[in-house]
Amino acid sequence: MDDKYKFIDFLGLRFNVANDLSVLISAILVFILVFALSRKITMRPGKAQNVLEWMIDFTNSIVKSAMPDGSGRRFNLYAFVLFLFIFVSNQLGLIIQVKVGGFTYVKSPTTNPLITMGLATISLLLSHYYAVKKFGFGGYLSNYARPVKFLLPINLLEEFTNFLTLSLRLYGNIFAGEVLLALIGTVAKSVGAVTFVAAIPLAMVWQGFSVFIGAIQAYVFTTLSMVYISRKLEQE
Amino acid sequence: MAGLLVLGANQVALGDMLFVLVSFIILALAVKHFAWGPITKMMDARSEKITGDLDYADQERARAKKLAQEREDALKNSRAEAVGIVNKAKESGETQKKSILTEAHGEAEEVRQRAKSDADKAKQDAMAGAQKDIANLSLEIASKVISKELNADDQKSLIDSYIKELTVNETK
Repeated sequence: MDDKYKFIDFLGLRFNVANDLSVLISAILVFILVFALSRKITMRPGKAQNVLEWMIDFTNSIVKSAMPDGSGRRFNLYAFVLFLFIFVSNQLGLIIQVKVGGFTYVKSPTTNPLITMGLATISLLLSHYYAVKKFGFGGYLSNYARPVKFLLPINLLEEFTNFLTLSLRLYGNIFAGEVLLALIGTVAKSVGAVTFVAAIPLAMVWQGFSVFIGAIQAYVFTTLSMVYISRKLEQE
Repeated sequence: MAGLLVLGANQVALGDMLFVLVSFIILALAVKHFAWGPITKMMDARSEKITGDLDYADQERARAKKLAQEREDALKNSRAEAVGIVNKAKESGETQKKSILTEAHGEAEEVRQRAKSDADKAKQDAMAGAQKDIANLSLEIASKVISKELNADDQKSLIDSYIKELTVNETK
């Protein structure tokens, strides 16, 4: 993609304005959604509370399918926020894309691998933290040599592949969706009225599909995060 | 875009990772404080209430069943009792009727006996009185016949006086 981004250097780190702004917008949208739905919490739920409880039940069931013994209750909040954040991030670029003076400012933050790696980092840090907390540091290290010792290199490698597949799967799906949308846009502008009209149904179909993919990928990311955490928390 | 993945490339914005990490943590904390805490508390409270209500309903059902059983037993007992009472009343009515009848029979017999004896006595009294009267009358007639010379007028006056006396006696 030939998008151009503004960068800010701060404390020796380079920040991509488009990514950070999009992350911020997604986070604020998620917060506004959840905040608005949780204003009147009563024993007999109203409409808004029902929606919120439905979402919570959904993410709780994801956690429960990975950790059926109830030890996953402490990850319920994480799964809930993660799912909503990724879902909103995926849809953000389909709804608005802001370009000012050739520079992109707002898009789906998940079209950038660094953002998805950031999210995957949170999941993996959680899994390692809780594994050390549960087994102690020695037990945590010895878990790499289980069930048999010669699997040690494979287990070590798995940590990296888990991280990469988790983050790059999300990035690839969302990025591909936006690339194809942009391509359809290029087709529309290529010849004139004929291609413009022909591209409209294509764009509609692909946008609908992208919404679907965005939802699926949010679900997959949350599910796999929980699976990785649960695998770190059990001894083979 | 591939350049972004290569460390040391000119345009790697590693700050983004930090940014998403920090903003995600802040988002999670905010969601926890404003929505997650209250709503999970409420959901737990609700599930607890539902469990409690179900237990309570079970208890109440058992109690109602027990009560119904008791009522049924009581109803059965009362029916038997009612039958007993009716039977007893019938029995006592029967005995009362019998005793009243025998009493009435006795009384009637007594009354009849008394009336009979009274009548006999009256009859005897009347007979005695009549006997006395007849004796006196014949005595008087005899004395009157003897004291007077008998002729047709005398005869007539004698009979008249006799009859007069008789009626006077009778009206007395």
